[in-house]
Amino acid sequence: MKVLVAVKRVVDYNVKVRAKGDGSDVDLNNVKMAINPFCEIAVEEAVRLKEAGVATEVIAVSVGEKPCQEQIRTALALGADRGIHVEAEGRIEPLVIAKLLKGVVEKEQPQLVILGKQSIDGDNNQTGQMLGALTNMPQGTFASEIKVEGEKLNVVREVDGGLQTISLSLPAIVTTDLRLNEPRYASLPNIMKAKKKQLDVYSPADLGVEVTSHITLVRVEPPAERQAGIKVEDVAQLVDKLKNEAKVIS
Amino acid sequence: MSNISPEILQALQACVGESRVLTDPDSLALYGRDWTRAHAPAPSAVVLPGSIAEVQAVVELARARQLALVPSGGRTGLSGGAMACQGEIVVALDRLNRIEDFNPVDRTVRCGAGVVTAQLQAFAEEQGLFYPVDFASSGSSQIGGNISTNAGGIKVIRHGMTRDWVAGLKLVTGSGELLDLNRGLVKNNAGYDLRQLVIGAEGTLGIVVEATMQLARPPQNLTVMVLGVPDMAAVMQVLETWQGAMDLQAFEFFSELALQKVVAHQGLQRPFETPAAFYALLEFEQHTEADLDQAMALFEHCVEQGWVVDGVVSQSVAQAQALWRLREDISETISRWTPYKNDISTTIVRVPDFLAEVEAVVARAYPDFEIVWFGHIGDGNVHLNVLKPDELPMAEFQQRCGEVSRWVFEIVQRHEGSVSAEHGVGLLKKDYLHYSRSAAEIAIMKQIKQVFDPQGIMNPGKIFDL
Ligand SMILES: Cc1cc2nc3c(=O)[nH]c(=O)nc-3n(C[C@H](O)[C@H](O)[C@H](O)COP(=O)(O)OP(=O)(O)OC[C@H]3O[C@@H](n4cnc5c(N)ncnc54)[C@H](O)[C@@H]3O)c2cc1C
Ligand SMILES: Cc1cc2nc3c(=O)[nH]c(=O)nc-3n(C[C@H](O)[C@H](O)[C@H](O)COP(=O)(O)OP(=O)(O)OC[C@H]3O[C@@H](n4cnc5c(N)ncnc54)[C@H](O)[C@@H]3O)c2cc1C
Repeated sequence: MKVLVAVKRVVDYNVKVRAKGDGSDVDLNNVKMAINPFCEIAVEEAVRLKEAGVATEVIAVSVGEKPCQEQIRTALALGADRGIHVEAEGRIEPLVIAKLLKGVVEKEQPQLVILGKQSIDGDNNQTGQMLGALTNMPQGTFASEIKVEGEKLNVVREVDGGLQTISLSLPAIVTTDLRLNEPRYASLPNIMKAKKKQLDVYSPADLGVEVTSHITLVRVEPPAERQAGIKVEDVAQLVDKLKNEAKVIS
Repeated sequence: MSNISPEILQALQACVGESRVLTDPDSLALYGRDWTRAHAPAPSAVVLPGSIAEVQAVVELARARQLALVPSGGRTGLSGGAMACQGEIVVALDRLNRIEDFNPVDRTVRCGAGVVTAQLQAFAEEQGLFYPVDFASSGSSQIGGNISTNAGGIKVIRHGMTRDWVAGLKLVTGSGELLDLNRGLVKNNAGYDLRQLVIGAEGTLGIVVEATMQLARPPQNLTVMVLGVPDMAAVMQVLETWQGAMDLQAFEFFSELALQKVVAHQGLQRPFETPAAFYALLEFEQHTEADLDQAMALFEHCVEQGWVVDGVVSQSVAQAQALWRLREDISETISRWTPYKNDISTTIVRVPDFLAEVEAVVARAYPDFEIVWFGHIGDGNVHLNVLKPDELPMAEFQQRCGEVSRWVFEIVQRHEGSVSAEHGVGLLKKDYLHYSRSAAEIAIMKQIKQVFDPQGIMNPGKIFDL
């Protein structure tokens, strides 16, 4: 079984992001970039399927500018077999990414596509679902456990207030939630091996997709500064403040 | 129970205010001890002065009434320096916790002695700068305590000890004088540099009330590697290989048992499954991809030489932090076995021979004890921790460890090392001071103490007995 995994290059989630002075965008100058955490989980799951003998080949694909090859290399070091870079400039919207991934799906014909449930930069939570619609493949989103059983893929999903198990026919799409697995570290010997793995580069035109834009980023602003805490003298004062200032109790 | 006389209690209250003198058993037990557990705390009172003037008033009272004072910071000390076991009055600097002013041109910041180390680190970060002294207890330790122990930590290989970051300090001496030492000057060759005597004095010369700390440019894109290493000699080979080619920000090591304990108790992930006797943790700045390529080449070289069996490198800040926890969480993890700690050092070149000898002694003396090794090996500093078996009584455990310590310290002496690399002497190491300081040196230290503190009221019985 061939597995395709999408990986996105995003701002490292431990970095405190700042808005540009003019509020036009997030300031990415000299900021540490990393694999989107949910994509890292997707790669780990695909590699585990391979280690379990279920997957035969794991392909990591990333859409973006040249530097996102670093994140493809990370995926290769974690155990993916080869990489595909769809080179596209600028801010690419989920719909376009989904169309580009559809192009890759048509070329590679994977039985399973694993994506993060969302990327922590855009927080869109759309790409996996859109890819499902475009390719007419069933989708199991917010997966916390997956298991291939014969021709079926069972997905345990994290839904409000509990878990839901669904069974999908293959080929299928899965988007990962946080508890699906704990990704491994990239070992140094594997990073070296990853350098020799195949990495193909496509342009959107190669995949027959035109990069369009429907969304304009109007403004980015930081959250309001949190007010400093105060110390209350006694319980009575605390209750009074909760009642009359914070208005959280009555 | 406090046995303080009502009259002294009243006088203390007059110095700092009624609510700032604590004599209840909980407060006495809390403020009377540091991180060590070998002695029982028994202070007679705790005072919390809120200004330099109040500190001076307390010292004046102590002079007039011949009262012993124990300066107290975050009480994370590992040598018993902040222990008050004999009815002393604890002077806790917690309330002098204001960051007073920041000087962007000199890149210095003036702060109260009670400012917590992490508070200074966070302040520096807000200014786009960096305070580089860091270790696992920085969330509780105070600048006054760091100065008084000349704290080291995990960035010493690149940034030095606390001493290197103190641009000035204010001290209330045992004779009640307020000294303003060095005032933030970079160059000041006008006579003796008394500031340097105060740094590392463990509160025996006076009370540090304020400090002017130097800040640095923040490091860029810190990357962490953890390598599996077959033996200590190889750890040193790895260090030499890297030192020759890259500027390391940190070079730490820990043993397999340390890793096992941390993984089991902190719920962390092993870096890799390949077993190794020791692990080296390296941190470096990655300005460009070339830095990583360089590190990879060094890794390959070490593998070819048989010095390294496996390794990982952080791919994100989260992974860098998780790898650091493998090293930083060791102290806290093993504290549940009330370990007997040795904090020993020698010059880096002598470390392999030195450690081989120490390992042999320890293996012979403690066949039945668990030994956890870790430390700042890039500085020639190892922490040797003997874990107390649960069923063994504390006194017996201490006694057995004390005997073996002598043998260990004889090795330290032969290798011209230190019996206390960074934790200070306090109560725990004072019987062993002569293994790394000559009689003449100790005699001068005592004379210096008498000049600063003629009545012997400042942390008496710490470092040495007069
Ligand atoms: C988990 C853990 C990890 C640690 N790792 C390291 C490490 O890597 N490197 C390292 O060097 N240390 C380490 N330590 C030891 C300790 O954190 C440091 O020695 C620290 O500098 C102590 O600061 P403190 O404020 O807690 O001082 P305290 O323990 O309160 O006091 C230490 C000494 O300084 C004196 N003192 C405190 N404040 C003043 C003052 N204002 N004026 C005069 N004297 C004062 C005390 O009397 C005492 O003698 C570690 C401790 C723990 C618990
Ligand atoms: C043209 C010129 C330029 C200079 N530029 C600088 C400069 O840029 N920066 C700077 O810091 N200085 C400068 N100096 C001053 C001088 O060169 C330095 O102070 C230098 O360190 C003095 O070294 P010396 O061996 O000549 O010491 P001396 O002049 O011989 O002695 C200096 C002091 O040290 C004592 N002393 C000497 N040797 C010992 C010893 N072995 N043990 C104990 N005490 C000892 C002496 O008793 C004396 O008190 C300059 C001087 C000149 C003439």
